[in-house]
Amino acid sequence: MKSRFAAVFLSLTGIAALAAMDEPLPKWTGNEKKELESSGWIAGGVLLTDEPVPDEPKPQAATELKVEQPTAEEIAPEPVPSPEIAEKFLPAYFAERPKSFLIDPQGLLSQADYHDRLNFLNYHASDSSIDLFVYVIGGNQEIPSEVREEEMIERFFSQGRPAAIVYYYLGAPQRSVVYLSPSLTDAVSAAEQKRALASSVMQAFEKIHPSEQLEAFLVQMSIRIYWMERMIGGEANAGNDLPAFSRKSPATAKDAGKSAKLEWALSLARKFAMPAGVTAASLLAAFIMNFWLKRRARYHFPDFDVEPRLGGAHAAGVGAVISFASAAVPPASQRDQVPDYLRRA
Amino acid sequence: MKCPRCVQRIHRAATSCPHCGFTLADADVRFGAEEVRIRCLTDSAGILRRGDRERVQAAMDHITRRFPQIFVAIYTGSLGEISNLRQFGFWLLNRSAFEDVPVTKPNAAGILITIDPESKAAGMVFGYLLDPFLEESDTFDCLSRAHAYWLDGDYADGIVRLLAHLDSVLRKRSRQARRDPEHFERKVLPPAQMGDLVRRIRAGHRPAAEEESNTEVTK
Repeated sequence: MKSRFAAVFLSLTGIAALAAMDEPLPKWTGNEKKELESSGWIAGGVLLTDEPVPDEPKPQAATELKVEQPTAEEIAPEPVPSPEIAEKFLPAYFAERPKSFLIDPQGLLSQADYHDRLNFLNYHASDSSIDLFVYVIGGNQEIPSEVREEEMIERFFSQGRPAAIVYYYLGAPQRSVVYLSPSLTDAVSAAEQKRALASSVMQAFEKIHPSEQLEAFLVQMSIRIYWMERMIGGEANAGNDLPAFSRKSPATAKDAGKSAKLEWALSLARKFAMPAGVTAASLLAAFIMNFWLKRRARYHFPDFDVEPRLGGAHAAGVGAVISFASAAVPPASQRDQVPDYLRRA
Repeated sequence: MKCPRCVQRIHRAATSCPHCGFTLADADVRFGAEEVRIRCLTDSAGILRRGDRERVQAAMDHITRRFPQIFVAIYTGSLGEISNLRQFGFWLLNRSAFEDVPVTKPNAAGILITIDPESKAAGMVFGYLLDPFLEESDTFDCLSRAHAYWLDGDYADGIVRLLAHLDSVLRKRSRQARRDPEHFERKVLPPAQMGDLVRRIRAGHRPAAEEESNTEVTK
């Protein structure tokens, strides 16, 4: 196919060349060239000037493109200096021990997100002996310097149930800070607190949306608090036993609940494993012993004096007779042992 | 208790069948009056292979171990009619001398299973020791367990099944006998004489005082 196209192309080119050769080129006549050169004509001069070529349209002047300027919203905001939390919100944040587990007086979370997160924190409180309080702060906000967090926590959280308090910066989970109520600070090491915070931040960074980040953060923190509880209860020996990160941890509150229940079931199992095992082993041993005794058991019959019958010195007891000549005559039909003369042929 | 020949019921101390007059002497006429020396497992019909024999022997030994008073014997051979099987079993248990059974164990402690592969019938006979404890229905149940196997010609498996069921029946009877031996003893007591019965009835109608004076007189 290609060779056919090539042949056609070559033949067309040849024909065109032949046609061109037919037309003669123009020639100078007489002193035409000299006369023109004397008048100042330069061969090819037309092409050497900036002047427009005669009979050619004048080029239009270039017009500026009208590109719409970006709006103020579209331009990425310049990093603004960290603003402090507005003074009007400070009492709601720091004036008293919070009545809710989720403190968001600025309304940084949407209504739905707020309820979801609060529900989870309530669930956590019902399932755990350590409450989790979360202060939601803007990602670029700062807590005013006059607020001393440690002192505030000591004041508000010395009494009541033990609690973990988290200052969570929405959209910037890496800025989050965790504090423990005074009753817990001695029991849970600073290293463990750091690990808990780091793993929670890690979980949060697996999400993109700030609300989802908060959710992941809380779930992981709840799990870590469970481990803290266990550690305090003496069930875990050291912080090293605790998993550093639980990447496969449940992503939702429901799953976290399931996990907690599973752990509870496991702890029960551990608690009763030994007695159950001992009981099972005892039962098995008793069963084996019973089986062995039965196997070794010897049975005796009382020896009664039986008067001989039919002249037999040893036996006269004629038991049953069964025929297995045909499957059509099952044992059931032979149960009545009748005299042969009464039997049907 | 039934007569081996006419299969009619006979009473406890019948010296001969009240219906047909059968005695061991009649069986002797048919099978011979001499003592027969056999082993507990005698496969005259040759229906058991070597491996089968071992399995069957093991099952028999198991019964013997568990019930030290009794033993089990199995005889296979061609006997002709079914009626002969009953009489043959009765005769064999009375006339045989089992070589591999200790002399301390009389044939009265034996359970003999007879299998006739030609007429395709099998029977069970037991000695006087088990007379109070085993019923005809028990032996029938044992034989029924083997029926399906014997139909297929699988004699060894049938016998093993039979002995397994016999083992359970004997255990049950032994336990019952231990709990209530009188119940079984009553079965073999000699039948009450007519005079005893009348005396007992009269004693029931007589005043107690008169009965006491009578006893004093007899003293």
